[in-house]
Amino acid sequence: MTMNDLPLHGIRVVDLSWIIAGPTSTRFLAGMGAEVIKVGSARRPDPSTGSPPFQAYNQSKSYCSLNISDPKGLELVKQLLAISDVVIENFAVGVIERLGLSYEVVRAQRPDIIMVSSSGTGHTGPDKDYVAYGSLLQHYTGWNSISGNQQGQPVAGGLWADPWVGMELAMVTAAALNNRVITGQGQYVDFSMAEALTAALPEAILDYQMNDRVPERMGNRDALYAPHGVYHCVGSDRWVAIAVTNDEEWSALCRLIQRPDLGSDPRLTSLEGRREHQDELDAAISQWTARYEDYEATRLLQEAGVPSGPSLDISRVFNESQLRDSGYLKPLQMRDGELRDLPGIPWRFDGGEGPNLTEAPVLGQHNEYVYQELLGLSVDETNRLVEEQAIY
Amino acid sequence: MAAGLLPGVRVLDVGQGISAPYCAKILAHMGAEVIKVEPPEGDAARRIGPFPGDIPHPEKSGLFLALNINKYGVSLDLASTEGAKALKSLVADVDIVIENPPPDTLEAHGLGYETLRSINPGLIFTSITPFGNRGPYKDFKATDLVIHHMSGHAQGLLGAVDDPDNNPPIRAGGHQAELVGGMAAATATLMALYRKRMTGNGSRIDISSFEAMVNQHISGLAGSAYGRPAPPRDLAQVQEAASAGNVSAIGGILPCKDGYVAVSPREDVQWERWLVIMGNPPWATDDRYTTRDARQRNSPSLWKLLSEWSSNYSKHEIARWGQEQRIPCFAVNTVLDLLKDEHLAQREFFVDLNHAEAGPLKYPGAAYRFSHAKLPLAARPAPLLGEHNQSILENLA
Repeated sequence: MTMNDLPLHGIRVVDLSWIIAGPTSTRFLAGMGAEVIKVGSARRPDPSTGSPPFQAYNQSKSYCSLNISDPKGLELVKQLLAISDVVIENFAVGVIERLGLSYEVVRAQRPDIIMVSSSGTGHTGPDKDYVAYGSLLQHYTGWNSISGNQQGQPVAGGLWADPWVGMELAMVTAAALNNRVITGQGQYVDFSMAEALTAALPEAILDYQMNDRVPERMGNRDALYAPHGVYHCVGSDRWVAIAVTNDEEWSALCRLIQRPDLGSDPRLTSLEGRREHQDELDAAISQWTARYEDYEATRLLQEAGVPSGPSLDISRVFNESQLRDSGYLKPLQMRDGELRDLPGIPWRFDGGEGPNLTEAPVLGQHNEYVYQELLGLSVDETNRLVEEQAIY
Repeated sequence: MAAGLLPGVRVLDVGQGISAPYCAKILAHMGAEVIKVEPPEGDAARRIGPFPGDIPHPEKSGLFLALNINKYGVSLDLASTEGAKALKSLVADVDIVIENPPPDTLEAHGLGYETLRSINPGLIFTSITPFGNRGPYKDFKATDLVIHHMSGHAQGLLGAVDDPDNNPPIRAGGHQAELVGGMAAATATLMALYRKRMTGNGSRIDISSFEAMVNQHISGLAGSAYGRPAPPRDLAQVQEAASAGNVSAIGGILPCKDGYVAVSPREDVQWERWLVIMGNPPWATDDRYTTRDARQRNSPSLWKLLSEWSSNYSKHEIARWGQEQRIPCFAVNTVLDLLKDEHLAQREFFVDLNHAEAGPLKYPGAAYRFSHAKLPLAARPAPLLGEHNQSILENLA
């Protein structure tokens, strides 16, 4: 695929978002061929500026500096919206309106524009003004309450909300773009980060209604399958995850760990039986895994046909050859002189060339392009706006 | 307002279990007409709970019901000549086919991508597998548990623990890894659909659920690209990092009378307001807690003091006091709290559907509202096995 073949070729996106969820959403759009113009200001820099994550969140984008709080700055962003297809923002509820960029104003610049607004709890309802950080918001959504060890408390960690929402915002944008081609209609999208996570808990929500119970936390165990867990391997904090989902895999596991007695035990021939006796099974499996490194255990289990894999931390994930051989992690030449393996886009089209991935920009890097080439300002006009700190 | 965003778009969901059906459900939510093709014994998800009374029933699986809202359903034996022929007829008339082989690999029945494309040259064919069709793991078997652990997400979930060797990493509840694979597939498919509108070209899309989950770790990957070590799981190491100023956020969950509340009064101004909520306890002037750095260094003892206070109140009470003071603060909601939540109720987040066998239930809806399109979130409940065989299969050319 050449750049012109990328799916979103010809789409221009104004990215007013910051921190994680918004920027990661526009990154998907940029990777798939849209022209994404990130708008920011030295007055209130994107909090991730200068950190390694900024380099990933903002790949493949242009970046202009603009003080929207200045009336002339606001005028410039309106001109930019007039020649754009999509605008994305994730300020707290009410902020974009106070800045003078409500959907009504935005739509007046470009009637068929798609405006995507993401906030913690959505833009209507009694709790719309809740102060929300992604990691805390997860607790509100029920996501954390269903995760944890049995008899333990809900999990405290897991940076889940922002990256999940980043992908979902790109998804709703793509859906709205399709609708615009079919109907000519633009959209305002009210997106709630909290609802995105709650929508991912259908089993627990239906279990409560069907059985009048709040589902218990299960650690690595499963309501259906057993054995199902992680098992200690050679080395400190090294584990292999094993999930047996049918009788065939159970027989294969028993052969591999040389426990034919378990394989022929009539108590264990059914899923129900294995669930009932899983403490015993876990002990038997652990005796076997304790003799192997996690990757070696995985290799043997996979050869035997048992779903399995090591439990990796992010450094070991980063070193996975799978991610390089599959073309997801690719070296990118950076302005600090280093070649760094940065993340790509997690899908492939047609086995062709990969997505558009270029180094993240610095604030103001594309001012000349945006103000002179796109908006047609002269050099003098641009310089004056810089002096007046509208371009700032 | 037209119903949905994708009028006239037709999708064939040949997937089973979770990832592909979830992808197709998203497209159905967006307004596409989705026909679900199941084998004669039914989608594997029909055998996964929850079930009423914990009694398995193919028409009462909560998982299946939720993942297949708003689809039409036909059952086909693809190994039979008539079944394969029917599938080809269906493919001729759709924009998108979604699959997640195995167990019912289309290829094995002579219904692989090349065959289907010869029937429908503009076809978008989306395939979801654990590791994609590429790389050393492409034939590995994996489940939600395995992908959760391999992608690094299990490591951080518990937060720091006293003894990592006796407190292993865990997966998140539900089937989050499978859903992420399905969401990546829907995102890519919608982009391919846009390209098809603009150019007429179809696409073959390959999704690796593993890669999609790894991508959810984009912040950590970026750190690794810059040589940063993985965050430690060992509490002692975390505290060491904290006293060196390498951990910046104070936050966590506090026990309450009726559960837990999550709080993060991390900034000094937030901390001052938090003290007011607690009635300015005498220990607050202790040197160990007067500055942000000091609170960070002494967070274990600080958390104990906060917990003693919070145990006297309800989680919703504390969450309200915190939010009134503009401090990030949330009740740790259970699914019961969510079903009763006034905010979600006013936003009409849950949708009511009455299924012929499973009865009336509330299902989670979507996180998005479009100003100029009403999404058909509750157009029809999940199909009974073979429910539309007659109306759809008998009308095939």
